[in-house]
Amino acid sequence: MRSLKTVAALAVAALTLTACGSGGGDGEAADGKVKLRFSYWGADSRQKLTEQAIALFEKKNPDIDVVGEFSDWASYYESLATKVAANDAPDVMTLEIRGLSEYAGRGALADLSGKVNTADLDQGVLPSGQVEGKQYALPTGVNVFAMLANKATIEKAGEKMPDDATWTWDDYIELSSKISKGGGGSVYGTEYTFNPAYLTIFAAQRGEQFYNNGKIGITPETLKAWWANFDKLIKTKGSPDAAKMAEVAAAGQEQSLIATNTGGFGMWWTNQLGAMTKSSGQELTLLRLPKLPDAQKSGLFLQPAMHWTISSKTEHPAEAQKFVDFLLNDPEAGAILLSDRGLPINSKVLAAIKDKLPPADQQTLTFIDSIKGDLDQVVVPPKGGGKMEDIIRRYSEAVTSGQQSPDEAATQLLADANAAIAG
Amino acid sequence: MATVSSRNPVLYRRRVTRGAKHLMLIGFGLVMLYPLLWMISSSLKPEELIFREPGLIPSEITLDNYLEGWNALAHPFSYYLWNSALITVLSVVGNLAACSLAAYSFARLNFPLKKLWFALMLGTIMLPLHVVIVPQYIMFSQLDMINTIWPLILPKFLAHDSFFIFLMVQFIRTLPRELDEAAAIDGAGYWRTFFRVILPLCTPALTTTAIFTFIWTWNDFFSQLLYLNNPDNFTVPVALRSFLDSSGESSWGPMFAMSIIALGPIFGFFLAGQKYLIRGMATTGLK
Amino acid sequence: MVDSLSLKPEAAAPAPAPAVKRGRGRPQPSLRSRREAWAAHLFLVPWFIGLFLITIGPIVASFYLSFTDYSLLEEAKWVGLDNYVKLFTEDPRFWTSLKVTAIYVVVSVPLQLAFALALALLLDRGLRGLSFYRSIYYLPSLLGGSVAIAILWRKIFGANGLINAILGVFGIEGTSYVNDPDTALSTLILLHVWTFGAPMVIFLAGLRQIPSSYYEAASIDGAGTVQQFKAITLPLLTPIIFFNLVLEIIKSFQSFTQSFIVSNGTGGPTDSTLFYTLYLYTKGFKDYEMGYASALAWVLVVIIAGLTGINFLASKYWVFYGDSK
Repeated sequence: MRSLKTVAALAVAALTLTACGSGGGDGEAADGKVKLRFSYWGADSRQKLTEQAIALFEKKNPDIDVVGEFSDWASYYESLATKVAANDAPDVMTLEIRGLSEYAGRGALADLSGKVNTADLDQGVLPSGQVEGKQYALPTGVNVFAMLANKATIEKAGEKMPDDATWTWDDYIELSSKISKGGGGSVYGTEYTFNPAYLTIFAAQRGEQFYNNGKIGITPETLKAWWANFDKLIKTKGSPDAAKMAEVAAAGQEQSLIATNTGGFGMWWTNQLGAMTKSSGQELTLLRLPKLPDAQKSGLFLQPAMHWTISSKTEHPAEAQKFVDFLLNDPEAGAILLSDRGLPINSKVLAAIKDKLPPADQQTLTFIDSIKGDLDQVVVPPKGGGKMEDIIRRYSEAVTSGQQSPDEAATQLLADANAAIAG
Repeated sequence: MATVSSRNPVLYRRRVTRGAKHLMLIGFGLVMLYPLLWMISSSLKPEELIFREPGLIPSEITLDNYLEGWNALAHPFSYYLWNSALITVLSVVGNLAACSLAAYSFARLNFPLKKLWFALMLGTIMLPLHVVIVPQYIMFSQLDMINTIWPLILPKFLAHDSFFIFLMVQFIRTLPRELDEAAAIDGAGYWRTFFRVILPLCTPALTTTAIFTFIWTWNDFFSQLLYLNNPDNFTVPVALRSFLDSSGESSWGPMFAMSIIALGPIFGFFLAGQKYLIRGMATTGLK
Repeated sequence: MVDSLSLKPEAAAPAPAPAVKRGRGRPQPSLRSRREAWAAHLFLVPWFIGLFLITIGPIVASFYLSFTDYSLLEEAKWVGLDNYVKLFTEDPRFWTSLKVTAIYVVVSVPLQLAFALALALLLDRGLRGLSFYRSIYYLPSLLGGSVAIAILWRKIFGANGLINAILGVFGIEGTSYVNDPDTALSTLILLHVWTFGAPMVIFLAGLRQIPSSYYEAASIDGAGTVQQFKAITLPLLTPIIFFNLVLEIIKSFQSFTQSFIVSNGTGGPTDSTLFYTLYLYTKGFKDYEMGYASALAWVLVVIIAGLTGINFLASKYWVFYGDSK
């Protein structure tokens, strides 16, 4: 028993010691090239594009060897966190705005201020990569949370496309219910989502910010008003019931009502328009989200699709910066990557590739231009912000399925959400 | 014969029961296989139709998903099949060798602290994978084994899968002790008893171990993803996930098609392996 | 628990050679038992190396981490018993996940084992094409953890799934069972039962260990099928039943993939399929609370160890070993 204890103590000591020790030390390949590790998530199509971009970068920089480490989205953060914990972080990492504060606030990221050329980037979007005043991350591209409408479905149900400059939430709900009726049981007016972006926009229309001075800035009243939208949709049969809707939502974009031509409306990110159009095979239109009658602003915002970041522990900061610079600013890289990670925020790159973009992206560009004057600033969620999606969905499911009263759920949601970001 | 047996009431009844059994097994099998049949049917549909057309029978048959899936990734799919096969076969060998040695020791031999070791062995089954994964990764990365197959096969050669040790212990314990004693009287040492007496009688347990190791390693996703970062080292389960992107566009058709292809080797291995389950006591002439 | 291991070396070993008294009269192990211990350790060499090299270290590390605040991204900070206190006193989701998992284990394990045993008996001998049937019935287990399962399960239990199509024939309108908080867990239980291949194969292998001479002798004595099953098959199969029971309980308590895949990693709707390990995973890797997750893991280990201990204790009364006479 004694020997077992000794061994245990030794094992712990060895693990902690080695974990604090070297940072891999294998940054230099045998042929004298600098080896950069670059992690990202996605599917096969993104991997192909990315590998092409990497090949181009290596051609331009023969002394650097970039190794892409890619995984599917579901396991990305798990494997990335494991690598960071093992002091084995990739040099360049793709992160999402939700995880940014976790990594930046814990010293895992290098400050990129002045390290990567940001002169040609959309300055209004840069704050979405800043934590405590430092530019830890640079957006890969942007999206807008918008309403997708299927004109054919709506007109087949005997209704007209709404005017998105003036429509209200009640208009939307009423129209949806009419489409369901007119569609004769084969289509629904709309699908709904608990995406935090929806809540953020809805709250902004009521003059509330999601995060406000380290606290949740949303009031219980706003939450209840938001849930009332879902409740009305379900009751008037404008959308499927809660269980059916949960099923559709869990199934992913290819099986959404919009993608399968069984719904008139659906809220999605603009970068999903292309894939949705392909799945549906019909023309889809981007609309602004409805507004509250007395809203001062639309609440819409440009959301960075992802961020490029560099590990604070990298042994090759210069090469890593060069690579990020290449991804962001090189028109040739832009021509390969196109809008795979959101629409480019580099105006020069955008101008150079504009004509190469597929029709869906052209449509998005026009849409973004049309709302340019009415956009909110994105706020980086604080540490713990990554839990928000989960918390919102959980209580919203409980409310829509009738398991919890909105009053009770609103109180508990806010308590949970505040606790999550309190640390 | 048929006429004779149909006149013989006993044989006739037996035949009817047998027929009923077959019908039941087939009917039940179909219900159970419905999801699989749906997957096969979907893999043969043009990709846009998979979710738009819910039925089991495709209105349009195409092999596009197979062709596209085979070539969609950085390497042809055969490349990932080969990577998986290598790791899987080595894992099977490792588990068979290391676990049977340990199991014999636990089941038949006496030594100090045996109960403690046995409890520890069982204890390692109880710890959820997700909390040891971080320390284990740290360790393998310190040993400079990331991006090699060592983190995946070394544990097998070191009998890390306690499940199989326990399995074999239970099997060996069903064997009568007289066998060992007889071997001892013939002058066989522990090694020979193990090799000549116990091991041959354990064929069903060894087969089970081989089958499970093969299937579980073949399907194991997370550790392969974690330890094999480089797309050149990807295995089948990791490659399969790269058809899907829950935050974006997924290639369902090719994913279904390649899933079916990936089922081939494990199904084949099972089909071949399960025959050996029939061996064992029944055929070794044990009286 | 150690006592209950039923390995009972004293009982199992053939009569030990008389201990030779030597020197101060302390009994010395006989030459034979020393040789035996030596051989035993030799057989265990790979396992010992593995235990010390890749098992003990991580286990001890995770135990240590359970007393820390560890985000994975920073160094761990010692917090004493905080994690454990928080877990028991102010975490309702911990209790939810425990309840969900307990229901899952209690319902699905006996169902699955009964199912596996019945099919193993049916597929053991006496019919043509058995190897084909066996393989067919094993197929679901080959698919068990595949990403495709999420889709396939919705094709059966979804709003437009197979079940509702069948119910529709009788004019009953069903809901989406996968996403109704009242039925979601049941569909996962069925998923578990559906992948009964592993215990079935183990049962089949166990049936093969039974010497056919036993059955021949019983037939000569005029015992019928049912009698043979009761008198020969069942008792001789108890070590295998026991094995499957112990393992399935452990495995089901650690079930992760089913819920992770079908609920998209959320454990929803409204936590109705929040398996214990899914919660643990969420805490560790999504919320960056690895210290807390480690504490969760150790609570789980204690629960499982307790149950396994009870299992071993109870096994004395019903498990029959060929070597223990």
